Amino acid sequence: MDIDDYEDFDSSGSRLTCPGESLTSSQAYMRGHGTYVDSEEVIASVAGTIERVNKLVTVRAIRSRYNPEVGDLVVGRITEVQPRRWKVDAHSRQDAVLMLSSVNLPGGVQRRKLESDELQMRGFFEEGDLLVAEVQAFFSDGAMSLHTRSLKYGKLRNGQLVAVPPILVRRLKSHFLTLPCGVDLILGLNGYIWVSKHVKASEQEGEEGFDAEAVYSNVNDEIDEATRTAISRVTHVIRVLTSHFIPLTDTLLLEAYEWTVEQETNVRDLFQQDFGDALVASITVGR
Amino acid sequence: MVQSISTLKCASRIEILNEGGFRSDGRRQYELRSIEIDLSQQGHADGSAVLTHGLTQVLVSVFGPREAKMRSQTIHDRANINVELSIAAFSAGDRRKRSRGDKRILEFAAAIKSTFEPVIQTSLYPRSQIDIFVQVIQQDGGFLQACINATTIALMSAGIPMIDFICAVSGGVHSTSPLLDLTLLEENDVPNLTVAVMPKTRKVSLVTMETRLHVDRFEEIFKLATEAGQVIHGEMKAAILKWSKGLVKSMGHGNQDRDGGEVDEVGFD
Amino acid sequence: MASTTSLSKAEKSYIQAGLLANPPTRGDGRSAQDFRTISLQTSVAPLANGSARVSIGRDPHDGSGGTEVLAATKLEVESVDLGSGSGGVNGGRVMCSVTCSPAAYPHLSSAALDDLQYDLTTILNSTLTHPSLHPKNLTILPGKKSWLLNLDLVVLVDSGNVFDALFLAARAALWDTKVPRTRSVEYKARKAGGGGEGGEKGDMEVDEEVVSGFDTRQIRHATDFELPDYWDEGEELDGRDRWPVCVTLNLVPPAHFLDATLEEEAAIPLRLLLMFSFDSDEPHIQGMRTMGNGELTVPQLGELLKEGEKYARQIWQSLNAKLKEEELGRIKERNKF
Repeated sequence: MDIDDYEDFDSSGSRLTCPGESLTSSQAYMRGHGTYVDSEEVIASVAGTIERVNKLVTVRAIRSRYNPEVGDLVVGRITEVQPRRWKVDAHSRQDAVLMLSSVNLPGGVQRRKLESDELQMRGFFEEGDLLVAEVQAFFSDGAMSLHTRSLKYGKLRNGQLVAVPPILVRRLKSHFLTLPCGVDLILGLNGYIWVSKHVKASEQEGEEGFDAEAVYSNVNDEIDEATRTAISRVTHVIRVLTSHFIPLTDTLLLEAYEWTVEQETNVRDLFQQDFGDALVASITVGR
Repeated sequence: MVQSISTLKCASRIEILNEGGFRSDGRRQYELRSIEIDLSQQGHADGSAVLTHGLTQVLVSVFGPREAKMRSQTIHDRANINVELSIAAFSAGDRRKRSRGDKRILEFAAAIKSTFEPVIQTSLYPRSQIDIFVQVIQQDGGFLQACINATTIALMSAGIPMIDFICAVSGGVHSTSPLLDLTLLEENDVPNLTVAVMPKTRKVSLVTMETRLHVDRFEEIFKLATEAGQVIHGEMKAAILKWSKGLVKSMGHGNQDRDGGEVDEVGFD
Repeated sequence: MASTTSLSKAEKSYIQAGLLANPPTRGDGRSAQDFRTISLQTSVAPLANGSARVSIGRDPHDGSGGTEVLAATKLEVESVDLGSGSGGVNGGRVMCSVTCSPAAYPHLSSAALDDLQYDLTTILNSTLTHPSLHPKNLTILPGKKSWLLNLDLVVLVDSGNVFDALFLAARAALWDTKVPRTRSVEYKARKAGGGGEGGEKGDMEVDEEVVSGFDTRQIRHATDFELPDYWDEGEELDGRDRWPVCVTLNLVPPAHFLDATLEEEAAIPLRLLLMFSFDSDEPHIQGMRTMGNGELTVPQLGELLKEGEKYARQIWQSLNAKLKEEELGRIKERNKF
């Protein structure tokens, strides 16, 4: 039983399998994620698509929790404040860790005093806060270590969160998108998407280069009705696309958003199933 | 409830297996009830399935692997599997409210957990937790069978790695005739057991029997149940592949799909 | 109810500011009074006497999300004799209980889930078992046997607004409930002169002509009962028009809104539950409850009651239309044969 026996197998084809199915001989191929080896056979362990890259066979599950990789951009929520670190829920197998040493501290002064650490920490991030960060490394048990050491990263405000299956967030050049209606999107690879009012890049930096007040503030800006409506509309578009299991890319989101604007409908109408179906149909035509 | 005399004669015992070889619900001895598998999402679960054998319906929701809720439950080198079972009070003919701590319920939950523990690759997720929430909506026999089958499907839809399917079926013996996939009526009347098999290796993952059965009969029904497990495997595999196919197609925007591409479409017989 | 959804301060103020704006805007674009799509089916549990399944806001395409409740009624015979030890009461009784699937609250511990179940049960039970709503046809044999009506609800998924869903499901299941018709039976001992007849003919049955099983004037000596027609569905539960609906008003003073999502529930501190019954078009408040932290002035409460009545009436009318539609559909199905 060799994979090459299958005529049109290649890395872009969708070959489906499920647990217990033999894929190939383990003499010829190395096993990757989603498989295991038993009596010289590579056997699938998840239900999904078989992917072959050279001599490596993997099966990618159709739906699963987020599988982190170093360098990934994620949106997470603080679940716990611990001495010198925070625990972050990133919809993965374990909560991620954000070390105090991995965040930007105002004025460059390192907080060394142990007794004031805990108190100071909630001044930056407290339980419930949402943030955008990058995966820096992994701990030995597989938990992610995050960092927000860039001005693009940090606490999130002026918007709302949408949670989608992680597999539908494709790896893009940039996960910070701006739509023409004044809405910013941050597509976390872990499936958490932040939809917010657009903030001009020039406003992000303070005069001295880093304004802790602004970066760790919990206070939203004034958001007008038009922007709020746009945010709702974008949220809805995301939900319709993901409930039809369509992967999200910037071009797709833009197209879908523009289509709903053209229809001149209320956001509420997006609730109707046939409307959602029409939206999906219009953007999948000719793809 | 007292019957009037004129109707007493008609209320005779319902025949488990009549001379024509038909059971009380019209099935033949080895015939399984109709199976329905629904893989649509339930709530916010990572994986879910609603599985029906005849009139027995079970909903399983899987959460995880995720951060363990209680630190005391974490295991340093693998995931902790937590099974919780709820039986709706209105699920059976007689209303019976069972609390979560009911001994019987805990027993079933433990049986389900020990059935799946060797099959789920828990060593991939140290310190995590996998929650399996089983909700029995309707019961007409084959309780454990339905719970196990629904759990298998739900775990797969959550993308949790398993070495194989686990397919369960109940069986019993009426005088000397073996029967498969028993209704509640049959379960109350004949010695019966539930067998869970892993179809690839044909290894048995669970056998439970709470009645008394002659050793000779046991072997026969055990073999039959194992075979029936293979049939159920076919149904479950077909459902999973169909579901996968649908989603993969959507992910490709329904474009350039070479429909001849599904290598593992099962032709089961 | 239990605020298990965690939100950041920024998210909360985004939600609140949107609701306080003019006109109010919500995260999903709904207006303050809009409900998400509600779907309802009755007779979903064939083994029960009545049942219903309600879901609010479930995604129509893939089935995700939404608040889902299953409700079913089961009637059990109880002895009314005080000496028998059973809880039976003359005139029958109604008991209501809510269970929450752990899948509906994946972040709650076992203990917290039990607490939540208890709270939900208390609210449903205290409202629905009120004497003003008690059905009159739960007596089987006066002074001897009566029906115990068990209403069991299961919360399968909670995406906000669980109370409205629970009451909708309860009302629908009760509406759908059929009480088996019973016929009382009286036994007279056989007179002397036929002693050797054998046990089974020892008692002679005397059937009383029965107009209605509840017309207790006719049968003074009834000792037992039977179901005259095995296949008959039974009759409607008395007073099925009276069961209340609930409307939850989420308060962001001076504004309020309906059908909150989980995020909205976590963002607003206070809500008001109002249970209304519109039997014969007159509004009756069957229950009222505030939940959360906050204050309400009496004039504010008065205003909210007025608004609440309007919303409840709309819910009531839509629900009734749907229930009638379901019933008609079933009658057509049955008459096919």
